[in-house]
Amino acid sequence: MFLNHFEYFAPKTSRETLELVSRLGNKAKILAGGTDLMVLMKAKAISPEYLIDINGVEEFKGIVCEEGKGAVIGANTKLAEIQFSEELKAKYPALAYAAGEVGSSQVRHMASLGGNTCNASPAADTPIPLVALGTKVVINSLSGERELLLEDFIQNVRKTNLAEGEMLTNFILPEPVPQSACRYTYMGRRDAMEIDIVNMAVNIELETDGETIKNVKLVMGSVYPRPLVSKEVPPLLIGQKLSEALIEKAAEAAQGEAKPIDDIRASAEYRREIVKVLARRLLKETYDAAKGV
Amino acid sequence: MKKLIELDINGRLYEVAVNDRDLLLDVIRKKAGLFGTKKGCGEGDCGACTVLIDGKPELACLKLAIACQGKKITTVEGLIQEGGALHPIQQAFVDHGAVQCGFCTPGMIMSAKGLLDRNPKPTLYDIKHELSGNICRCTGYKRIIEAVQAAAEVWSKEGVK
Ligand SMILES: Cc1cc2nc3c(=O)[nH]c(=O)nc-3n(C[C@H](O)[C@H](O)[C@H](O)COP(=O)(O)OP(=O)(O)OC[C@H]3O[C@@H](n4cnc5c(N)ncnc54)[C@H](O)[C@@H]3O)c2cc1C
Ligand code: FES
Ligand code: FES
Repeated sequence: MFLNHFEYFAPKTSRETLELVSRLGNKAKILAGGTDLMVLMKAKAISPEYLIDINGVEEFKGIVCEEGKGAVIGANTKLAEIQFSEELKAKYPALAYAAGEVGSSQVRHMASLGGNTCNASPAADTPIPLVALGTKVVINSLSGERELLLEDFIQNVRKTNLAEGEMLTNFILPEPVPQSACRYTYMGRRDAMEIDIVNMAVNIELETDGETIKNVKLVMGSVYPRPLVSKEVPPLLIGQKLSEALIEKAAEAAQGEAKPIDDIRASAEYRREIVKVLARRLLKETYDAAKGV
Repeated sequence: MKKLIELDINGRLYEVAVNDRDLLLDVIRKKAGLFGTKKGCGEGDCGACTVLIDGKPELACLKLAIACQGKKITTVEGLIQEGGALHPIQQAFVDHGAVQCGFCTPGMIMSAKGLLDRNPKPTLYDIKHELSGNICRCTGYKRIIEAVQAAAEVWSKEGVK
């Protein structure tokens, strides 16, 4: 299992990195944790001519989480840091939890949040809560910077909105509104080291009465080529107080939207069934969390 | 073209000639001659190749050697104590019968070290969760978990490093 021959670059600043990304274009791959890239290269699925290792660039790392100002997370922040960050656990428990469920301890110490998104696997853990939280990504190139909602950034299996010469540099998470909660859950064959069969995040905001749903976002993974934001669940629940009957209706709506495939991990039929199960559990859990019970 | 690089493995500097594509695992075994670190799956799934890089458990089979310049790499050989005694985690594995063929053991021990350095009082869940990337085909996990619990006790009492 040798890797192909490539030339290795280790820039120290974001400017140097962007110059390399611009100059080497599609012949190069960015190396963050390498937990996707190295596996693909070993399998000879891809053979880049150049690798641009961004681990020496401090600007791409770190969590800035200020009171009232949401959070900014550098693309090359390791998942283990997100898993253990007290600030993120308090403000964005769904994200910290999802980061802690990726692969293994070793994988999480290597893997980055940016890599998890840029790899654009439909089964990836962290993009699902990030989308539910309304996260934006910051994309940089030599010619400047642009921002995009994460749900528009991931486009298809292994396909993102990145153009040649661009890279992902930051995630911007909005400050959670009062009386809201976001939660994440998944189902796999076993607990550890398992690629999810279905994963899901729900974000619920309540009216000032603390019971009526003002806003809801339900996001599903592993059931569509990219994170799937439910269109049918919000009109069913907004303006309502959550009841068993409504949970059932919403779960069925989510199930109807999911377009899973058969693969080695599960059948499409089983996945659709699980969507309903997870939606039921997670709507209830998130609603209760938003109410503060 | 090969490049001459320096790697700090267990506190000793190794000067090695590597290609850009050489993996840390192969360099540790074939160039530094340290055979404790094992190659299992080569794909990140089994944990046999776990080493600490700047104190964090990482997979040497997915890591480029050239990317490890200036970092502190610790392999199982680096745990040896003064006078050649076993490290308390190693001793606990022996005492609890947590080693059978031994192939997974160096990786298990390095993962356990990474965990205990960060969290010297792990719960049963913490141990299972943070060691889930290490696969053992023979011992069964019960004794391994017991060994880590025992090591954690020594750790909290004696403040081992
Ligand atoms: C054993 C094992 C278990 C795993 N389990 C899970 C799991 O449970 N859940 C899960 O979601 N994933 C899992 N993964 C996949 C992988 O660990 C994650 O997707 C991880 O977050 C990838 O991050 P990385 O930093 O290692 O990315 P890399 O491998 O370094 O990069 C991945 C891709 O993104 C590109 N890229 C990286 N950073 C940037 C950037 N800033 N800008 C532009 N492009 C960029 C790279 O060029 C490459 O194409 C697992 C992998 C392994 C080996
Ligand atoms: S050999 Fe590295 S994880 Fe299996
Ligand atoms: S003791 Fe043989 S694999 Fe664990």
